[in-house]
Amino acid sequence: MEELLTRIARCVESGKTDKASPYPPDMRGNDGADELTKQALDEGLSPARILDEALIPAMAVVGERFSRKEIYVPQMLMAAKAMNSSMKHLKPFFQSGETKRKGKFIIGTVAGDLHDIGKNLVAMMIEGGGWEIIDLGVDVKTDKFLKAVEDNPGAFVGLSALLTTTMENMKKTVEVLKEKHPSVKVLVGGAPVTMEYCEKIGADFYSPDPQGAVNYLKQFAV
Amino acid sequence: MNSFEFDFHDLEIDAPSIGRLLGYGEGNLYNVFSDLIRELLGNASRVCSVKAEYRIFHAAEWNDKAKTVTLTGVVFRLNDIVYKQLGKAESIAIFVCTAGPEVEKLARQAMEDGDPLACCIYDIIGSAIAESAARLLHDEVRKAAVLMAKNITNRYSPGYCGWDVSDQYALFALMPDNSCGVRLNDSALMSPEKSVSGMIGIGRDVSFDPYPCSLCHRTECLFGNPRRRQL
Ligand code: B1M
Repeated sequence: MEELLTRIARCVESGKTDKASPYPPDMRGNDGADELTKQALDEGLSPARILDEALIPAMAVVGERFSRKEIYVPQMLMAAKAMNSSMKHLKPFFQSGETKRKGKFIIGTVAGDLHDIGKNLVAMMIEGGGWEIIDLGVDVKTDKFLKAVEDNPGAFVGLSALLTTTMENMKKTVEVLKEKHPSVKVLVGGAPVTMEYCEKIGADFYSPDPQGAVNYLKQFAV
Repeated sequence: MNSFEFDFHDLEIDAPSIGRLLGYGEGNLYNVFSDLIRELLGNASRVCSVKAEYRIFHAAEWNDKAKTVTLTGVVFRLNDIVYKQLGKAESIAIFVCTAGPEVEKLARQAMEDGDPLACCIYDIIGSAIAESAARLLHDEVRKAAVLMAKNITNRYSPGYCGWDVSDQYALFALMPDNSCGVRLNDSALMSPEKSVSGMIGIGRDVSFDPYPCSLCHRTECLFGNPRRRQL
């Protein structure tokens, strides 16, 4: 059983999605995260153990390696893809309530901005950290963030922006969210954003990369 | 107004250059992704519509103190770095260029199809196309300057080198509406996203700096890093 969890973790860390996937070359022909997760469930391993002991630790390793620039975006994406192929077997258990996530994370690119690659990477890594993602997309107006917060009490919020001009819309969104829901935690990021700006607009956390956001959220996991 | 449509092959974008932008040299990992990069580059090359446009303004009014340049009544608030490079120009070329919306659509489709890696590679291809279009546009301005027996500067873009991105409004005020199909929204973001705008100085006393990244202190720039590594 332990060995199966280790193998799933290794598949996720190295981005081995399924048996048919040629990536990574040294695992060609082997079972991937898809087959091994199914096997683990068939053998009676609980979805919670697969999530907590294989997927989350594996994605944490991937995030740390990316932060240290030991791997680049493509490998991170392959890992996220492998994780998704495992998650598809776990989703029915989340939906039935049998297995719980760490919490909910609402994410979007702020109003006036259409850049979503960075936002998508952050969403994938946070999902890999065990959180349920509510992705509002791009050009998200403050009202839409507000409604999502009201529909999902206790959820955390992540805002992304590409330019200094679109970053200004973060300020508006943070102000309104904090005014109506003072306890909501708001994370910000994107190329022009800095720690100084985060403090200035009253957001709770800034991270230059996805892993920083994942690490910050760990303290709030239920 | 000078308008151009560039052929994909003239952009000189090949799979190894995309690999480098993704972070990989010529090693093992590049080899793993090279077939995929080649395939996606082929798809992008078949659909992209790469356009560029520039307009030359001969009467540039410079204000050394305020570090501004005024072109036909429109004021640009340059910062020190950019003013120092452009300040001796007699004329200014304003440009907009774009990779078009097609490659962005391919990226979005890949994401919808559950293939984030393909999405990311298309995204990098789109960025590389926009950058190469700016380089070809720059060559066109150089040719025009040579005919006037003048030199040109590097190209500078609102938002880069500390020049405020909100000067995009001034720049677009001097270009025709919907120049190359590019529009500026209220937050100064261009759409299609894979677009570049900027200024090039033209004059007898200006020069081209082959190492412009030495002016900038950013360490995490996607385009700066590979270039710095080559230096
Ligand atoms: C919630 O918590 C979190 C936590 C972390 C979060 C987060 C949320 N959201 C993101 N993160 C973080 O995690 C992600 C993964 O690591 C990261 O997400 P990113 O989205 O940042 O990263 C992507 C995965 C990859 N990164 C990128 O795609 C952007 C890379 C850089 C080099 C860049 C590129 C490639 C491009 N650009 Co340009 N470009 C730059 C960028 C400099 C840089 N190094 O970031 C930036 C963003 N660009 C800039 C500028 C100015 C511009 N660009 C422009 C054009 C271009 C290209 C077309 C050449 C190309 C593509 C742009 C695109 N939007 O697709 C123009 C704007 C285009 C437009 N549509 O309006 C133009 C305005 C220049 C011009 N006048 O033409 C600068 C913005 C600064 C500012 N003043 O606003 C810039 C920071 C460069 C710089 N060194 O100054 C992190 O930021």
